Amino acid sequence: MRQGTCCECGLTTTIRSFHSFTGKTYCEPCLWKASQQASEKGEPSEYISLLDNSVCARCGSSSGDTEDYPTIGRLPLCPTCASQVTNWPYPTWLKASLAVLLALLAVALVHGRRYFHAGRSMYQGERLVEQQKYEAAIPYLREALQVAPGSDKAALLEAKAALKVGDVEEAQKTLKGHNGGHFEDEQDPRFLEVRGLWERALQAVDKAERASKLAEQPGQSAEAARLMHEAASVYPEASGLAISADLLDEGAAFERKDYDAFVAVTQKEWKERPGPDTAASLASALACKYATTGNADYRQQSEEMLRKADQMTQGNIQAMKSFEEYAERIHYRLVSREIIDKPEYDRRFRQTSQRK
Amino acid sequence: MFFIPGPVIAMLTFPGVIVHEAGHLFFCKLFKLQVYDVCFFRFGNPAGYVLHEKTDDFNKSFFVSMGPFFANTLLCVVFCTAAFLPVWELKVNDPLAYFFYWLGLSIGMHAFPSTTDLSNLWAVAPVRAKQGNLLALISLPLIALLYVLNFGRVIWADLGYGIAVGILGPIAIFRAFARA
Repeated sequence: MRQGTCCECGLTTTIRSFHSFTGKTYCEPCLWKASQQASEKGEPSEYISLLDNSVCARCGSSSGDTEDYPTIGRLPLCPTCASQVTNWPYPTWLKASLAVLLALLAVALVHGRRYFHAGRSMYQGERLVEQQKYEAAIPYLREALQVAPGSDKAALLEAKAALKVGDVEEAQKTLKGHNGGHFEDEQDPRFLEVRGLWERALQAVDKAERASKLAEQPGQSAEAARLMHEAASVYPEASGLAISADLLDEGAAFERKDYDAFVAVTQKEWKERPGPDTAASLASALACKYATTGNADYRQQSEEMLRKADQMTQGNIQAMKSFEEYAERIHYRLVSREIIDKPEYDRRFRQTSQRK
Repeated sequence: MFFIPGPVIAMLTFPGVIVHEAGHLFFCKLFKLQVYDVCFFRFGNPAGYVLHEKTDDFNKSFFVSMGPFFANTLLCVVFCTAAFLPVWELKVNDPLAYFFYWLGLSIGMHAFPSTTDLSNLWAVAPVRAKQGNLLALISLPLIALLYVLNFGRVIWADLGYGIAVGILGPIAIFRAFARA
């Protein structure tokens, strides 16, 4: 190892312990003093540490006093260290870990295909819910729930979509089937929105049930209609409630023999939901008007509506059967100009025919 | 605020330390800089390091210092994306997914460059920017931001970054995926 001597204190030791400052060699304590003095005078105070090029800067091995190691990046390095620093190898364990990780990632991606599929369905469902396309969103969200029944988000979105289209049964199935009706964050705005919808729906269902029971009792159809209208206004998303309310209005008008109102309600229904049922109802109301007034226009209109209803039921066996039963009574009304309800009609004509 | 000693955090998130140092090594090798010593993980401060040759080339310095930030961020997004749907959105108890989420967060948490790396860059970036180095100019705000965030480690800014990248990254990917 090469020796050096401090220009200030004369200390002599290995050259690696010295520093070069303003072209002179200093030991560590003398360097500090000289550097500080230069700094106070406003002169440059930078210094460099001296290297013994016969000693490897990395492993400390000596090449002998006569030979220097080649310098790489300003440092003298022995051949072994020189090879290492110029091409530092990645450790085998690191390469093996990377391989294992990539293999695991591939496994995760293959294994996670169903999650990606479910996730995509959920996001599509969510987007459709945001666009208020609730009917279209339900199948996507149902698909997501099949893979992830524990997902609060999917369950809440599905329940919301179902409630928004008035499908209380579907919403109930989803909400009760989700962790026994438990949701992680009951302050989540999504949860609060669904809870609000659910409470409205339950209130409406309760009123609708009471209305249905009342409708079965004689003389209660006006009260039943009122309750059903309340249910429909509490939960307007369920279009079925509004239809039921209209049907009860029809019944109430018929019951109090207010045939003008009967015609008005059935005309409204026909306009809003043209179909065999509403056509037949309007035919029935017009037949009542004919029976009470004798105005042939009503009869003509009633027969016209019966023809339309007949055309609309073609191909639907169930609807055709129901229409035939209804049409028979309306024809009787038009021929006899006598207004009787179904139980009376059945009592007079159908029980006899059954006995035969 | 609760205090957890650095070595404990490093131990719990050791893959992030290894990936960070591997990132430094990768860029050193890429730019043919001499590497004097590498420690991928240890129980101490710092938990890992790469001692390498200094260079006057700002671009090389930038990538050697900031490379792990980009690499760790990218890998955090990749691993968290693989696990995001089952863990966060679908709430499926899949151990492999949880493993990947831990891995992703650990890697993301160690994305920040060290204060020394940032100081070295900060010392030369303004000079190089004045000399017309576009990368130096563009990187100045990023270096400044990371410098500030580095001090935020005491209030878990590194963990916050990992979580943000591990959640927002996959959300952005899946939103785009759902719209496709």
